[in-house]
Amino acid sequence: MTRLGLVVAAWALMSCGDARNDGIGGQVTGLLLGSDAEAPARQSLNVTEEDLLGNPGTYMRVNIRDRNRWETMVRAGSNGARTTWIDGENITVTEENGIVVATRGLPRDMMGAEATGTWNAIRAGGGTVQRQVDFLDDQDQILARVLQCRIVSEGSDPVTRLQRTYPASRFKEECSGEGLSLSNIYWLNPSGRMIRSLQAVSPDAGYLQIDVF
Amino acid sequence: MKRAVFLASSAMTLVLGTGGFAQDVPPTYSLYGTPGLLEMPVATTAEEGTLAGTLSYRDGLFQTVLNYQLTDRLSGTMRYSIVDLYNDLETSVIENELERGFDLKYQLVEEGTYAPAIAVGLRDFLTPGRFQSEYIVATKSFGDSLTVTGGIGWGEMGTEGGFDNPISSRADRPVFDEADPDGQLGSDYWFTGDAAFFGGLEYQINDRWGVLAEYSSIAYDPAPNAPAVSADSPYSFGVTYRPRDAVQLSFAALNGQELAISGSFFLNANNRPSLSGFEAAPVPINARSASARQATTWDRNATPEAALRSALTATLAIEGLTLTGMEMTDRTARVRFINTRYRSNAQAMGRAARMMTQVMPGAIEVFVLEAEAQGIGLSAVTVNRSDLEALENRPSATATLFANTAFAAAGDDVGLTSARDADAALFLWGVSPYLTFDPSGGDGDLSVDAGLRLDASYQFSPQLILSGAVLQSALRFNAEDPDPDSTPDLQNVRSDRGFYGDDGVPVLESLALAHFGRPGGDIYSRVSVGYLERMFGGISTELLWKPVDSRFGLGAEMNYVAQRDSDMGFGFDEYEYETATGHLSAYYDFGNGYHTQVDLGRYLAGDWGATLRFDREYDNGVRVGAYVSQTDTAHEDFGDGSYNKGIVIAIPQDFLTGQPNRDTYGTTLRTRTGDGGARLNVDGRLYGVVRDAHQADLSDTWGRFWR
Repeated sequence: MTRLGLVVAAWALMSCGDARNDGIGGQVTGLLLGSDAEAPARQSLNVTEEDLLGNPGTYMRVNIRDRNRWETMVRAGSNGARTTWIDGENITVTEENGIVVATRGLPRDMMGAEATGTWNAIRAGGGTVQRQVDFLDDQDQILARVLQCRIVSEGSDPVTRLQRTYPASRFKEECSGEGLSLSNIYWLNPSGRMIRSLQAVSPDAGYLQIDVF
Repeated sequence: MKRAVFLASSAMTLVLGTGGFAQDVPPTYSLYGTPGLLEMPVATTAEEGTLAGTLSYRDGLFQTVLNYQLTDRLSGTMRYSIVDLYNDLETSVIENELERGFDLKYQLVEEGTYAPAIAVGLRDFLTPGRFQSEYIVATKSFGDSLTVTGGIGWGEMGTEGGFDNPISSRADRPVFDEADPDGQLGSDYWFTGDAAFFGGLEYQINDRWGVLAEYSSIAYDPAPNAPAVSADSPYSFGVTYRPRDAVQLSFAALNGQELAISGSFFLNANNRPSLSGFEAAPVPINARSASARQATTWDRNATPEAALRSALTATLAIEGLTLTGMEMTDRTARVRFINTRYRSNAQAMGRAARMMTQVMPGAIEVFVLEAEAQGIGLSAVTVNRSDLEALENRPSATATLFANTAFAAAGDDVGLTSARDADAALFLWGVSPYLTFDPSGGDGDLSVDAGLRLDASYQFSPQLILSGAVLQSALRFNAEDPDPDSTPDLQNVRSDRGFYGDDGVPVLESLALAHFGRPGGDIYSRVSVGYLERMFGGISTELLWKPVDSRFGLGAEMNYVAQRDSDMGFGFDEYEYETATGHLSAYYDFGNGYHTQVDLGRYLAGDWGATLRFDREYDNGVRVGAYVSQTDTAHEDFGDGSYNKGIVIAIPQDFLTGQPNRDTYGTTLRTRTGDGGARLNVDGRLYGVVRDAHQADLSDTWGRFWR
């Protein structure tokens, strides 16, 4: 088994866990019980439309705009209100209420960010907020950027995907800070859950379009 | 189609200005390999951290140049030239002489709105300095495309249209006495003799193409030992082309009659081509439930330690980490592991800690991470599991975790339960090609050697390893055998190296038994016995004192060695030379990427002296260093070069590929290597083994802990 296979298998196991997502515990339990350390075969992330639509909360579809390719992601773990998702190429995206707070495996990762302020502004129908976003620079140092962000409601804008249309309201977040300006767009369904977004990661990693199923 | 419409309709802006990610295109580089016109310098500097390699050719002069912008204002240059020189009597031309040279340039004034940039420089400033020149130059840009340069030069740069030196006390330039030692600072020559004006224009047509016109103050006049290069006219014209940002090609019509070409290649140590790396994402932290966090102990029957060890071995292996030992208490897990994958030990520790959150019982709150190399624990880095849970993916997590982390000497081996794989292969071997390029032959010859090498090692214990290498040369170019001994008073500890292993049969490069240890908390030891290097065998012993949290280290090395036979077999009969050699060494990390090392002691030829080394190390692992050795040997006995000096460059593989890897591409560019100031080349010197798991080095790459 390749290293990649092992890693994906480990994450696939984690993704099968309960709400606390300690799924690698399954693998570890196996090891503790003396079973062979060999991990199960790589789990394909080719997911059918039926699976996507029939298992709400299980999958995310992400388009890494700089790569112009869609990837299906599954849950890899969660920590408090934050969930980390992983695709078949070992790229992870961590979100809180749908707002991206970290990535790993992209050419310029977002190492960490705040999301509570933005989420509160969206829930309030708009507002301004200050957010810090950390990047990893070419010298392995953290490059922190404090962004001033304005969130505005842009009204109703239904989302269509896989031949289905969902009612949604659209919000735009425009942020600027030292040497960095970006804008994110969020679509929320009537129950207040984010079902689609277009979010900036970093200058070198570009934007992610995220569809949450 | 809906999706395409969605993408197309989402107009986004993501703009980064200066700071952090900006990448400037370097200035134009001259045929002499420094920012310049065609042969003349300009006052412009490259971006700090730029390394530029240049190859240039004009009839009678081939140059290989490395230029490095150390700070915003200061740059240094090392140059190998293959040049035709007039002989002592100027009666004939000696072809293809190898000359080495160094330049320095300092920008005195940055360019302003109205004021030009002004710089002062020394070209080829060591004796004999076939191109020795000094200059003051000003450069002003007009708009984005046009720059104008004017300057005044001395030495070679004062030979075309020269006039009396405005520094009247330095009116006459001495003539270098070929009997004097070379490699000396030529300060008696600097800014002496006639001066002359030079200048030129550069126009950048677009991002790729530019044109240059130059009025040169180098006449290339025939003179004893001067470059035999012809120049009918001071006017030269050229075209530059950049097929990529990192490459510059130049084509020039020089001095009215000569054609010249050059290629320059740029790399900026601050701008990693692989950005922040392409390695796979780590496993997320597995956060404990509130109740699990409250536990003060764990059930050793339900989850026996042996099972945890085996689970951690398997999960660390996914990350290229080899678990070698583990100790557990009710609340603490101490793990020792070998990092085989990540350049940054901080990243290896981050990956290990994440895996531990997956494996360890909830009661385990404290993780002690001990990196191991050569069988010895290098440090103990203690992190709290609750910090990992609270800080994952949070802003400022890197700084906060660092502040909450304790760095100390590795714990005792006693207490650790071994997790070493009893079935792991103890005998390892591999075959690889090799290529060595030695431009520092005693009489200036170039030597190239290529072939296959067989490396093998056997591990008697984690601390005791027998290793060796056998080389078979397939292609060897020695311009000629080394000259007769020019320094009879000194043993030929290095100047005979051209004789070593040149019989075309397999040779034993090294075969030595090495033992590493940690006799005290901050003290490390090494003993190496056998055929230690190509030219010497014997015993080498070393002690190093280096506290984990200190930027300072002290070492002592004592060796007793004999010179090997030049057939590089097992014998020591040919030279009948034995000597005691050793040094006291001090190491200091100044911070901000500046490191120094001072060695005091006795060198291989029995001479006493010191070596000073200075390194600029970037946090991403790129390193540019320089060293110089001076001993009590008289210059005339030293051999060519007067003293040993050189430039060291190292570029980690992950800098270029983005794939995690601990290997480094490195080379040492020496000027001539004399018999004085020569040190034993023994593997595994301790400072290099231990430092990258100590606090200062870990803090340099701590940003990768969370990656």
